[in-house]
Amino acid sequence: MPADDHARALLDPAVLARLGALPLAARRAMQGSVSGRHASPHRGASVEFAEYRKYVPGDDLRRLDWRAYGRTDRHYVKEYEADTNLRCLVVLDASGSMGFGSGPLTKFAYAQRLAAAAACLAIRQGDAAGATCVADGLEATVPPRRNPAHLTAIANLLAGVRPRGAGRLVPALHELAETTPQRALFVVVSDFFVDPRELRGCFEHFRFRRHDLAAFHLLDPLELTFPLHRPVRFLDMEGGPALLADPAEIADRYLASLQRYLESVRQAALETEIDYQRVSLATDYEQTLQRFLLGRVRSGGVR
Amino acid sequence: MSFLEPLLLAGLPLAALPVVIHLLNQRRYQTLAWGAMQFLLEASRTSRGYARIRQWLILAARTLAVLGLVLAASRPLASGRLGLRIGGGADAAYVVVDRSPSMQQRGTQTATDKLARGLEQIAAALEATGVRNCLLVDSVGRRPTPLDGPAALRLASQAGPASASADLPRLMQEVLEHIRVNRVGQAEVWICSDLRANDWQADSGLWPQLRAEFAALPQEVRFHLLAYPQEADANLALRATEIRRSDGSAGSQLLLSLTVARTADGPPQRVPVQIEIDGARSEAVVELSGRQAALENYPLPLAGGRQQGWGRLALPADANPADNEFYFVYGEPPVQRTVVVAEQRAATRPLQLAASIAADETRASEVDVRAPEQLAGVAWDETALVLWQAPLPTSTTPLAEFVARGGQLVLLPPAAPDGRELWGVRWTAWQTSGEPARVADWRNDADLLARTRSGAALPVDELQIARHCGLAGSVVPLATLAGGAPLLARAAEAPGGVYFLATTLDDRDASLARDGVVWYAAIQRALSAGCERLGVASLRIAGVGDAHGAEGWVRVAGPSDRLSSEAAFQAGAYRADARWIAVNRSPAEDLAAVVPQPRIDALFAGLRYDRADDQTDASRRLAREIWRTLLAAMLAALVVEAALCLPKPAAAAARGRGEFA
Repeated sequence: MPADDHARALLDPAVLARLGALPLAARRAMQGSVSGRHASPHRGASVEFAEYRKYVPGDDLRRLDWRAYGRTDRHYVKEYEADTNLRCLVVLDASGSMGFGSGPLTKFAYAQRLAAAAACLAIRQGDAAGATCVADGLEATVPPRRNPAHLTAIANLLAGVRPRGAGRLVPALHELAETTPQRALFVVVSDFFVDPRELRGCFEHFRFRRHDLAAFHLLDPLELTFPLHRPVRFLDMEGGPALLADPAEIADRYLASLQRYLESVRQAALETEIDYQRVSLATDYEQTLQRFLLGRVRSGGVR
Repeated sequence: MSFLEPLLLAGLPLAALPVVIHLLNQRRYQTLAWGAMQFLLEASRTSRGYARIRQWLILAARTLAVLGLVLAASRPLASGRLGLRIGGGADAAYVVVDRSPSMQQRGTQTATDKLARGLEQIAAALEATGVRNCLLVDSVGRRPTPLDGPAALRLASQAGPASASADLPRLMQEVLEHIRVNRVGQAEVWICSDLRANDWQADSGLWPQLRAEFAALPQEVRFHLLAYPQEADANLALRATEIRRSDGSAGSQLLLSLTVARTADGPPQRVPVQIEIDGARSEAVVELSGRQAALENYPLPLAGGRQQGWGRLALPADANPADNEFYFVYGEPPVQRTVVVAEQRAATRPLQLAASIAADETRASEVDVRAPEQLAGVAWDETALVLWQAPLPTSTTPLAEFVARGGQLVLLPPAAPDGRELWGVRWTAWQTSGEPARVADWRNDADLLARTRSGAALPVDELQIARHCGLAGSVVPLATLAGGAPLLARAAEAPGGVYFLATTLDDRDASLARDGVVWYAAIQRALSAGCERLGVASLRIAGVGDAHGAEGWVRVAGPSDRLSSEAAFQAGAYRADARWIAVNRSPAEDLAAVVPQPRIDALFAGLRYDRADDQTDASRRLAREIWRTLLAAMLAALVVEAALCLPKPAAAAARGRGEFA
């Protein structure tokens, strides 16, 4: 399939049309460059009153509240909330393990569609959207732009990457959290097969930098249930050593280990207050996004 | 362990099938690219030890299950602790049964005696092995007798207890002859015995010959010895040593001498001896301290001055009932009549003296001296002993009948041996040695030169033999000179007591007359043996002497469950016309000496032989089929395998939960 066709295949118009009614809301105040629909930490020129502030020399006299001066004989400046846009950065994990999939879609293909749809939704509502693919490092990055034509660049980027090698997701996330100068919405789509303690460090880093982090944790049903019986030679998709094992022998311990890991990740997400979405590939990505968007609408914006 | 269907053991390699399938399964793995390797590695690392053990256990259970199936199909026999290697497929099984009195020894906890226990064990083993062609070779009948299957062993009347000692070499010879004559294929010989020395005669020269001949047989013969060697801890044996009738002023009475012996030392005890004479019972008490006690000349008054009759001595029940009874008969003693046949009448004086002076002064003795050609008119029926110092007779008819009826014949060499034979024995030539020869070896346990009743040996070694005549033929030496030549020998082929003395009583030939103790004792013993058939009352040892003469005997006293045809082998008091006969076990039966195991094993060296020591109190079977046990083991292995293969509840639940926890 040509690259452009492949990129277009990531964006299903019907899905986007159905999701278009739901806004992509931020859970934190964003610092955008233009006016938008998200709350900003700064005062602005919206119609929503924010607070009174004492006049200091240099303030625009047009914003002086004369009525308050009449009542209190003091000079106050009337401030209003500012609405701004957000910058949404979609982070796609392109490590080798993302290439696994027992159904019609691999985790990576699922992640591509999810990431492309999220970027599309952001741009449609006037936000800036960008994308970053992470494999051994920062594989490729498209900076956030508000231009609708920029969606093509994002789709091309997502479509042009293939999962390979050992993932370096944790350093890449630290790097993104640190180098992104203003508050932004990060949508990370990954299987997060890393040490939960390191992952927790990443989440805390994003929180410290006041970014809004949404993490989509993709898992294949085969990985979750491990319904294998005959001896299998497992090849590590990230280049590690192969393992010959009888699934019947190790299934219980595998599942127990997986459950411990999932619980640790969930606990880290709760404690760092990130928007954590555990996703099975058996669930359609449209439903996943719908649940994600609805959850954000309910939580509302924060100033 | 042995098997009734050994060919099916060829399926034993099938036991490796689970392992082979496992290995093949291991090689038929599928390859799968996997993302969540960290959990696989952790699971594999933590479960490796347990999984390997479980895997091995499953494989072991499957292997055991197949093994159990194959073994069960092969119909194995368990011989338990006894360790007999029994094989099926024998064409004939000879059951050699030692019926001697010592085999009636009972266990301490059960009333079963060794004989019954052994027969039951062998019958069960033969039934288990599927042998149908069984032949009984008992120590009384001696000839192999076909049985209607192994079960008949339990009921066979000719396998019951007897009072006669067994002659194991002779029985083995009968088995050998039967195998040869009937050309039996693969044969098994089961021997049930308590290994008493007098029954086995381990020193007999027949054993090496039997060994060689069995080994030379073209067919396979396997020997199974079922042994009961344990001796009773506290067993008393009773024996009358002398019964003498005397008439006194107080009336007629019997003077009874008896001994009571026990097998082990113990504290002094009073042993009540029940005495029954012609049905009237009384009791005497013997103080027993040490191994043996004797009662000498115990007077027993005879009612009405009875001239003849029978009696029985009995002890209280103990481990072996066979040696608790002793039967005797009494009557007028016969005249000890001796016929001396000599070619030179002058040389008969020492012979006459030894025969005419009776050891018991109350008994009358007569000696009739004849020349060889004057035998007509000799009252053979009243003669106990014939001393023959002349050329061997040309016609053996009167002598043969005399010997066959129980008469004793002692032959001394003529002046000029002429080569004639008597029962396969002939004189050869006189041999003179410069120095008088001494007796190097003699048999002092039985026969004419046995020890005295007090246990002292006869001074046979003091005899000096200056001249002796050679002997050729089949003889059993009783005394042998230093050079190996026999001095006194018994004709092996004669039907009774026929002895050859290889020298004369002339002082120039030997010191037999000068040192007359040996000669006198031997002649008196021969006379006593010859008189046994002449008197109104005679004492016999069970199994010794002519058994055919006992056909007309009527049992007066004795165990009622014994065969009347075996009267000469069963203890009891019998009557034949006007004569009374008492039959008792051999004195050797009371000695209870057991042949050691290495000695027994050596008797069967080079043959296919195994031995099992059994006990009358034991509950183990000699052999039994254990396929049921193996099937149960197989099922147990399958259950274990199934349990090990069951998925763990945690894993099953985790899978059942589906996608997410």
